[in-house]
Amino acid sequence: MSESTARKLICYRCKVELQPEKTYFQYLGHSFFTDIPKCPVCGLVYIPEELARGRMAEVEQELEDK
Amino acid sequence: MRDFKETLKNCLREEPPFCSCACPFGLDVRDLISRLQRGSFNSAYRLFQNTVGFPAIVAQVCHRPCAAACIRKEKDEAVLLGKLEQAAVAYAANRRPNQYQLPAKGKKIAIIGAGPGGLACALRLTARKYEVVLYEKTNRIGGCLWDLLLPEQFLAEFELQLMYERYELKLNCEINDLATLTADAIYIATGPEGNRFGFCGAAGASRQDGIFLGGGEQPADAIATGLRMAGVIEAYLKTGLMRQPETRKTTRLVMDAAAIPFAPPAVTDGPLTRDQAVQEAGRCLKCQCDACLKHCDLMRYYGKSPGRIEEEVEVTIHPGTLDGNGTVATRLIASCNHCDVCKNVCPQGIDTGAFLLQSQRSMQEKGAMPWPFHDFWLRDLEFSNGADCALVRPAAPGERSSYFFFPGCRLGGSDPRYVTESYRYLLSVEPETAIFTGCCGAPALWAGDQALLQSTIEQIRRQWLDLGRPIAVFACVSCRNIFRQFLPEIESRMLYQVMEQHGFQPPVTAAETARLAVFDPCQSEDDPELHRAVRVLTEKAGCRIADEAELPLCCGWGGQVSIANPPYFAQVVRDRAARSELPYLTYCANCRDVFAGAGKPAYHLLDLLFALNRHTGREAAYRRAPTASESRQNRRLLKKTLLHEFFKEEAPMSENRLPLRLSPQTAEKLQRDLILLEDVEAVIRHCEASGEKALDESGLCFGHLQIGQMTFWVAYRPTADGFCLENAYCHRMSLGGE
Ligand code: SF4
Ligand code: SF4
Ligand code: SF4
Ligand SMILES: [Zn+2]
Repeated sequence: MSESTARKLICYRCKVELQPEKTYFQYLGHSFFTDIPKCPVCGLVYIPEELARGRMAEVEQELEDK
Repeated sequence: MRDFKETLKNCLREEPPFCSCACPFGLDVRDLISRLQRGSFNSAYRLFQNTVGFPAIVAQVCHRPCAAACIRKEKDEAVLLGKLEQAAVAYAANRRPNQYQLPAKGKKIAIIGAGPGGLACALRLTARKYEVVLYEKTNRIGGCLWDLLLPEQFLAEFELQLMYERYELKLNCEINDLATLTADAIYIATGPEGNRFGFCGAAGASRQDGIFLGGGEQPADAIATGLRMAGVIEAYLKTGLMRQPETRKTTRLVMDAAAIPFAPPAVTDGPLTRDQAVQEAGRCLKCQCDACLKHCDLMRYYGKSPGRIEEEVEVTIHPGTLDGNGTVATRLIASCNHCDVCKNVCPQGIDTGAFLLQSQRSMQEKGAMPWPFHDFWLRDLEFSNGADCALVRPAAPGERSSYFFFPGCRLGGSDPRYVTESYRYLLSVEPETAIFTGCCGAPALWAGDQALLQSTIEQIRRQWLDLGRPIAVFACVSCRNIFRQFLPEIESRMLYQVMEQHGFQPPVTAAETARLAVFDPCQSEDDPELHRAVRVLTEKAGCRIADEAELPLCCGWGGQVSIANPPYFAQVVRDRAARSELPYLTYCANCRDVFAGAGKPAYHLLDLLFALNRHTGREAAYRRAPTASESRQNRRLLKKTLLHEFFKEEAPMSENRLPLRLSPQTAEKLQRDLILLEDVEAVIRHCEASGEKALDESGLCFGHLQIGQMTFWVAYRPTADGFCLENAYCHRMSLGGE
């Protein structure tokens, strides 16, 4: 796992650690899910840059060309 | 859309070259040449043999009408097709014909005359396994060839090409009455002087069932007719219909002879060596209309002609019209620069760009165009026309205006002084000049957003009426063209023409900038007057124009394609920047900033005219392109400066910026991904106000916010006096849903 996905993150409001959890995304009428760190109390999420610029960007591009 | 399919019928892409049309055989010269250019003599020979039947004879005796038709002779000399054909014959490793194992057809054809035409007809018919009887009144075959070639040349060729075929030859057998023949069809190939048995007219089907006439003044014509008539005879034997052979093709092809590079043949005497043949083949232009593919970046990038584009766009807009899932052209549609080059270079005036714009509109109306392709620029338009930037004022309160200066949104975004100095000048020559800042609506046009375009235009129209219908002065050709198209009632001038006409004398400074290349923006194509004015002013500023691009071209900005298709955009910019080694002189703010952004030294004409960005010589050419955030800041600043300097008013401080520090690297990254500082600030404000953020052990904060449809993420640290931005990125997907 790369550095920032392994980063230990604390929810500022709930003071608990974010845990990977299945999360849904939407784009151009399609829906996806993947595991991302989430606050088990309030649901605050974190999307690491690697995911945004990597897999997510790839899927975005595929859908745009579809 | 339908209309474009209609106009495509005028496309010359599929037109044959001049030589092929002049050739009695309709030889596919482009194909032959391609094979020879590869040094493939065998395959060149095969093609030639299939087309002409007796290659060794035709290569010698053809009277070469192709040479008279060849466009190359407009420049130097026609391509030596005859010699190339001879080379194909000479260097083919295996000259034997193909052998066909077909069942006998059981039909009999009588051919009268065993000259080249009769034998050619026999060659095709026997290869298809018809029974052929040749009647020859003399004691030898070959007819007129005896006067033209050595007997071993043509007799050996007849033997070779007919080696696998069987036919009956009756020498010394003169036919005087066709009724004496028993045959399913008769071909009369008795030569120009021969007996026509009472039939008159050209080669073809006679008025009597089953009787066909040969013809041709020249031996090559006779052979070509024989080959063609074999097909007509076969069709008759199969269907009983007496059809005429297809008329020879003509071409509508248009080629610009002036553009042909000078390249006379290396040798004209004697046979060609293999190398010489390859070289000679290299002189052929393989005439085909490809003006659009050659000049349009988009078509070149995708390697697609207008016909192909039309098909792909059609299935993209109407998926399900064809099998498969092919909505393939979305990105292609969104990548057109709308530079009009395709229309301008096409000899038929086919406007692929207009078709793509219309397609963009259809996709937009259906909601089928991915929103990110244009979202950023639509938000930018909104910003330019919002309270922070837009300003419409007559020079003096309440007064009517004779002119209004419409600098366009990008000019002030590049450098606010471009606008303030120009306005100051305009007031000096025409005190009744109003100022009108904002965006002309180009982003809406390019996004295919008709409603937004209409409302933008209407707004402009209303404000223009309020100003008392003044004449527009533009600094940007794109704005001018949008006005011309959608606000034709507004009379207009280009700033540079006004300056030139008023005899503006720019300060003559820095010698380092003495040699420049002018880069005329696309869309200025139809304006030689503007081109001239720009050149006069440039030279008055002490610069010498040492280089010119051949056509006004798009710098890459047009259509705002950089988000929809970054690699394509990068390629266009690279190509443009490389057209001259000299620094560019531009008179479009977009061109200036696109080139500067790519590291190409580029001046705006106004840099010279008002001695801006010039104080340290070449540095102006390297003036960094403003980032997207700086461009916005410049536009805000412009409004403030205009109000302050020309109207003695202080702009109300509407903005409320966060104290934010960031490294140059981070700033560069934001620019690359077109993330605005304002958006970053909005995310931080949101995180700080709501507490919706995560922290790592070092206290670095992470948070996000969806603004419009885009989701932005930031990593930042609160500091004593504000915030320090460490990272920012964005994605197009939105969170949530199932
Ligand atoms: S320039 Fe292109 S579109 Fe125009 S006729 Fe030629 S091939 Fe067709
Ligand atoms: S240049 Fe080549 S393709 Fe064009 S007319 Fe001449 S021989 Fe034919
Ligand atoms: S407008 Fe320009 S980019 Fe678009 S298709 Fe025509 S030439 Fe190509
Ligand atoms: Zn929480």
